Amino acid sequence: MVISMPPMAVEFEGIHKIYPDGNIALRGASFSIEVGEIYGILGENGAGKTTLMRILYGEIKPTSGTIKIFDHVAKFSGPWDAIKTGIGMVYQHFSLIGGFTVAENLILSALPLGISAQNVLERAKESMEETGLKVPLEERINSLPVGVRQRVEIVKALVRNAKILILDEPTSVLTPIEVEDLFEVLKKLRESGLTILFITHKLKEVKAITDKVTVLRKGQVMGTRRTKEVSELELARMMVEREVLFSLERSPTRPGNPLLEVKDLWVRSDSGLPAVKGVNLSIRAGEILGIAGVQGNGQKEFVEAISGIRKPEKGTIKLKGEDITDLDNSKVYRRGLAYIPDMRSMGLVMDIDLVSNLLLTRLEEFSPDGVIRWRKAVEETKSVMKLFNVVAESVRTQVRRLSGGNQQKFMLGREIARKPDVIIASEPTHGLDVGATEYVRNKLVELRDSGKAVLLISTDLDEIMQLSDRIAVMYEGELIAQGPTREFNLEKIGLLMGGVKVEP
Amino acid sequence: MNLEDYAQVSLEITGSILAGLLVAAIILIATGYNPWKGLYIMLTGGLGDLDYLLSRASFVLLTGLAFALPMLASAFNIGGEGQMYVGGIVALIASLITKNPWIAITAGAIAGAALGFITGALRAYREVNEVITAIMLNWIFYYISIFFITSYLYNPQAPYRSVSVPKGAQLGFIEIAGIKMHLIFPLALLTSFITYFLIFHTRIGYRIRVAGLSPDSARYSGINAKMTFTNSMTLGGLFGGLSGALNVIAFTYYMDQLLTSMVGMGFDGIGVALMGRDHPIGIIFSAIFFSMLLLGGQKMQIAMNVPKELTDALSGVIIISLAMPYAYKMLMSYLKIRRMMKVAGRSS
Repeated sequence: MVISMPPMAVEFEGIHKIYPDGNIALRGASFSIEVGEIYGILGENGAGKTTLMRILYGEIKPTSGTIKIFDHVAKFSGPWDAIKTGIGMVYQHFSLIGGFTVAENLILSALPLGISAQNVLERAKESMEETGLKVPLEERINSLPVGVRQRVEIVKALVRNAKILILDEPTSVLTPIEVEDLFEVLKKLRESGLTILFITHKLKEVKAITDKVTVLRKGQVMGTRRTKEVSELELARMMVEREVLFSLERSPTRPGNPLLEVKDLWVRSDSGLPAVKGVNLSIRAGEILGIAGVQGNGQKEFVEAISGIRKPEKGTIKLKGEDITDLDNSKVYRRGLAYIPDMRSMGLVMDIDLVSNLLLTRLEEFSPDGVIRWRKAVEETKSVMKLFNVVAESVRTQVRRLSGGNQQKFMLGREIARKPDVIIASEPTHGLDVGATEYVRNKLVELRDSGKAVLLISTDLDEIMQLSDRIAVMYEGELIAQGPTREFNLEKIGLLMGGVKVEP
Repeated sequence: MNLEDYAQVSLEITGSILAGLLVAAIILIATGYNPWKGLYIMLTGGLGDLDYLLSRASFVLLTGLAFALPMLASAFNIGGEGQMYVGGIVALIASLITKNPWIAITAGAIAGAALGFITGALRAYREVNEVITAIMLNWIFYYISIFFITSYLYNPQAPYRSVSVPKGAQLGFIEIAGIKMHLIFPLALLTSFITYFLIFHTRIGYRIRVAGLSPDSARYSGINAKMTFTNSMTLGGLFGGLSGALNVIAFTYYMDQLLTSMVGMGFDGIGVALMGRDHPIGIIFSAIFFSMLLLGGQKMQIAMNVPKELTDALSGVIIISLAMPYAYKMLMSYLKIRRMMKVAGRSS
């Protein structure tokens, strides 16, 4: 008896990945993808989506487990092997040469496969006709909009004979209209027999374009569903559900006057796209407002605009009633705002000592006439280290030599010691061990209890749920929900983070 | 720096010197000279005339600072040459007008600073690569200086050179322990100490260091990256100009038609800065060592009848081996930071 099984394009079997630093990215992921499917892979930051795709593309090797491509076990020593096997990858950040024309980029990418320039162009035209994917061959990449560049990447993969196409968060750089165009293109590619892996954290997109979806959480497969048969709510639950590790003591909140008010704020990202789109927000004294959301939804641009590092396009920001929209960050800091960035390499200079790092946001304070008072700075450094339990050999130790937890505590301590009224903390416990995490979270609650306003930006939902008095969810540059913590639960935040608006 | 760092740097330096000397000895053996005698003369030959040695060292000390300070902000000041020429010619003209050495030197230094400012500002505000600007300015001011010397400032009695700095505007000598000495070295030394203070004890120096070490942190702390970059180049130019001004006002007292007393010193400063590990105090020692090798090499040419090319190669080997470990580190972090700046630059 012959059972007709649909042919498989990709089969993952027990893929584990442990990075050299001990970080476990994948814990035995197994699932298979049929030929001719648009297959969604859904998960939060750090779920292991990108790691899995990089393994499939031959960029990194799994610690254990096997991959089968079209029923053959694949052993890739690098992306070139993957490309030869028919795998194409379109990264979030494109790998095109800006000064070259589209044609030149295509020729360059096919060079190692030994396809002649003439052949490349013929193939490009053919596949463009077949799929209706139009790109101007003679234009320079620099002069093309992002959406078209992405098409060039897809054509590039087609020219290389890709049978399986991986798209890593393909919509994150696109405008809504470009997203619709992309989806049309993907449907045509599916008709022509291509298998497409669509990596995303957006629930709506999963529903709109995929045939099947696998949800990853913390490196594990939480389940695979036919898209038609699954609700957004169920997907959200699979994406975020977890046990809460520990809880914090929090007294009921007694909020005072609003300290930070943001009205209709618009900010552009580095690439010039609107990243923050009309955000309204107000935080009162003695309150923690937590902003949840998947990374890259405008959080960075939002907090950089508030702290004066990035110039907003329009809108107003008021700190303690004073308009600070157009002030530079050093002035904003002096008026009582502190910003703890998500990258420690930004908030600290790794290659200089602790005292010098104390001066980073407090230079004027310790150099009233332009000459630095080192003795005073050393005393202050010592007191910050003592108050915040920073363990280091001495104040002259290079920050690089401190553990991540101690670096974070020092950064936090430096800012709190300035006695700010508003504290913006972005991913304050990212990468810290349990002890340091608890310490930092307790400090933030202490600040709130002493009547400060805290704006917490985090992709860690436990952190948001534990600390916040009020929660807002940021999605594609907008706060799509805002309210007291009791109105939220993990499921609801999960849906919101995926772009599904739900009524309270 | 802590004890460990010092230990590592001293180990690095000792190793580098030994490696350099070893290669130099092999070259001498290969070319048929006595390596012991050769290296002995090379290392000690310059010590005969201390005043001359230290004065020579002062010029490259200053051009060394001219390279080192901008380097802290990740700016490449290749323009030490042009800044020296301009410093020299402006100081000469100012001395003829004012008859005052201090005014002349100040004028020369400011002219160098102006050149550094142009180079830095073009890079910071117009994204013109500072290396290219500096190389072009070097040549432009080489010929402009020659034009001035041959057209307006030439000496009727000796047309190959300019008129002399007026007697009253020549910077004289001091006597230390019975030795008559040019004032150049004490001034260069003072400049080094002031630079040290500027870098490690003032707001502007702090900003320069942070901007050079971590553009992200600079942005976070509100440092104006463009202004800091320009400031560092301006200060670098100031030292280059000072070097040229001192060369004319306190040493040669005139400029010759081909600027022989200056040509190359701007570039030598790069080696001196790298050998001195980009540190204003280290540069004092590296400048003296550099000049020692140079003068020792000249002695060797006479004493052993060695061609100039060979002694240049020998001092080159020793200097490169000393500068290499640091130059490599600098280059790597420079490239890294340039990449980061490019990424950051897209936002503005």
